[in-house]
Amino acid sequence: MSRIFFDRIHLADPSTGRDETASVLVEDGLVAAAGSPHEIGPPPSDATLISAEGAILAPGLVDMRVQSRNPGHTYQESRTSLTDAAIAGGITTMVCLPNTNPVLDNPDSLSALVRNEGDDDRPSPRIFAYGAATRNLDNEHMAELGLLAEAGAVGFTNGIIPISDSLVMRRIMDYAAMLDKPVIQHAEDMALAAGGEMHEGENSTRLGLRGIPAEAEEIMIARDITLARLTGVRYHIAHISTARGVDLVRRAKDEGISITCDTAPPYYLLNDLATLQYDTRFQLSPPLRSESDRQAVLDGIIDGTIDCIASDHAPQDRDAKLLPFGIAARGSSGLETLLPLVLGLYTSGYLPLIRAIEMISTAPAVLLDLPGGSLAPGSVADMVLFAPERGWQIRGSAFRSLSKSTPFEGQPVQGKVLSTWIAGKKVFEADVTDAG
Amino acid sequence: MSGQRRSASSKADTQSKTSTNELMTSARSPEAFARLDDQHLLGIEGMTRPVIEGLIDRANQFAELPSREILPHLKGVTVFNLFFENSTRTRVSFDLAARKIGASVVNVPVSTSSIKKGESLLDTAVTLNAMHPDILVMRHQNSGASLMLSRHVDASVVNAGDGRHEHPTQALLDALTIKRRLGHITGLKIAICGDIANSRVARSNIHLLSTLGAEIRLVSPSTLLPAGISNMGVECHHDLMEGIEGVDIVMLLRLQTERMQGTETPSQREFFHLFGLDAAKLSEAAPKALIMHPGPMNRGVEIDSALADDVERSLITMQVDMGVAVRMACLEAVAAKRQEGPLS
Repeated sequence: MSRIFFDRIHLADPSTGRDETASVLVEDGLVAAAGSPHEIGPPPSDATLISAEGAILAPGLVDMRVQSRNPGHTYQESRTSLTDAAIAGGITTMVCLPNTNPVLDNPDSLSALVRNEGDDDRPSPRIFAYGAATRNLDNEHMAELGLLAEAGAVGFTNGIIPISDSLVMRRIMDYAAMLDKPVIQHAEDMALAAGGEMHEGENSTRLGLRGIPAEAEEIMIARDITLARLTGVRYHIAHISTARGVDLVRRAKDEGISITCDTAPPYYLLNDLATLQYDTRFQLSPPLRSESDRQAVLDGIIDGTIDCIASDHAPQDRDAKLLPFGIAARGSSGLETLLPLVLGLYTSGYLPLIRAIEMISTAPAVLLDLPGGSLAPGSVADMVLFAPERGWQIRGSAFRSLSKSTPFEGQPVQGKVLSTWIAGKKVFEADVTDAG
Repeated sequence: MSGQRRSASSKADTQSKTSTNELMTSARSPEAFARLDDQHLLGIEGMTRPVIEGLIDRANQFAELPSREILPHLKGVTVFNLFFENSTRTRVSFDLAARKIGASVVNVPVSTSSIKKGESLLDTAVTLNAMHPDILVMRHQNSGASLMLSRHVDASVVNAGDGRHEHPTQALLDALTIKRRLGHITGLKIAICGDIANSRVARSNIHLLSTLGAEIRLVSPSTLLPAGISNMGVECHHDLMEGIEGVDIVMLLRLQTERMQGTETPSQREFFHLFGLDAAKLSEAAPKALIMHPGPMNRGVEIDSALADDVERSLITMQVDMGVAVRMACLEAVAAKRQEGPLS
């Protein structure tokens, strides 16, 4: 029997609400005991002893929105660069979008990517995936949702494009409700956003870039709420970015509709002023919005309207970013910066520590019925040990991800992953000499 | 003219009293170049009034030179013209301007279909950079392309139009045209009419004319007026007669159908009916109000054909003429700034 004993460590477990000095015993990949040092007592003699002063032990991060680029676009992110980046970021479970080549619209492609086990050959997080909602993401024909669900799909989405057609959406929602799987939507009215290069407003006018109005998100969310009410599906909005979008979700939740949403760090940390130098690191989808939108997203995080935060990892190769702003590829590398950028919500006083961690572990795990997200006895021992106050500077060039483009380039942050554990096995340990 | 207006434009008035001979003498002096803050000329936004006036004054000197005179000021300087987007007048104007001030010009054929637009910009830039040009004059269909280019080449970049963003030399030549005709810009009421949303000329002119103290009105269908533009210090109108009431200059813009999505206006017929300028509508403007157009014109769409040819009212030909002088001044200023090196 393998035993690991975390001796008098700061345990932050949103699933139990523990945010205190505790000892945690892991046996054969499961949490055997977690509680006050007094309750737990001394470590068993055969246990590997781990103590780290000032460090926090939390459930491993569960990242619910990752573009894997596997299969088909491995020049943008290889399987190993993807998994190395994830575990270095403290992520123990990630959920990938189906916008691969081939598209994850069939059980074989999906199960080839999914891996709900540690990898014997090489450390890897658990990998799950959403099934494509429509065949080849064509927005017309429903994919084989039932077969995809059996193959392990944790929900259905068209990935980085919306399920646009209202009838198709209605059918998918009906069908997904029958399968008891959520539908995840990139909420953007593509007709209204057509040709858009950045958020519409004074800044797009000054820059001469075509605008994507906030209403493109609002319209799609409003329609989908109506259809969610009709179908009773579990409906989830990805990377919400607008004030009115957040407000619609808030009201739908009050009404009792089964609706959830996530956002990503750029949408509560940056606004469209960042684009004024046409820097393509800020070319994202949805676009960076106005300052009032940013504040509303932050408010949604604070009041719980926004359930989760995801990395929205969207690796792009260098060439695709070395283009004029309007035609540069959208997206950024997010796996390795998720933890510190979410911890910032705690250090800035916006969220209690336990809630910040919940949004990137327990909440997405519960929402998508994934392993992890809890260090209560009996849970799988997917864990991250991090130094909450250790400062470092975000440098894309130091990323393990093949994609080096981040809108947070050069930003100083706090919170450094020390080690990442999956089923009680250490899969990542920070280089102690690593200053970066 | 009111006393107040006269004092505000005293510099212009002094200039207008300067004799042609004096202007020609100054033009021939290589020391009289306009001073820039930057070795690139990417846009008007952020340019100070003295810099703008310096360029206009220098161009005004060049405008007086006999048309066949070639100046030696930029001898040994190489200018590459990179027009990723089709252009006749601007490209020819830059070409001529460079030659007239003594530079060597290479017209790089990049607008043809052999080069995939946009995608090849940096590759092209790196290749050209290896040939050590001093100045790259670029037009590109994407906003921000000239700023991007300027960060990847050693040469100075002169923006000859980037997407919907800026077209600085057009705004400068418009200002020179106005100044030569009316003697001043401060205090003038100027209406910019038509497709504002897709116009880089409108944006550069808004920045330039408001920096020089003109009062600017925009007249456009609501579909062609971009978001938040009223924050740029302009007054917006949707009625042409109301918008041009009492203005000194009506500046018309082309309907940029190549940048439009097809839903901005119902038809050219309706656009002309509501927003096209004809003699009757022009009567709402100040007596002797002048008409400008950056070209190419769509006769019968934004302007009545007869009005475009009215030599009393139309400055359109003069605008084209001033283009060469303005570009001479710009190329010279950029080359001079390069020699001096970056501000320490």
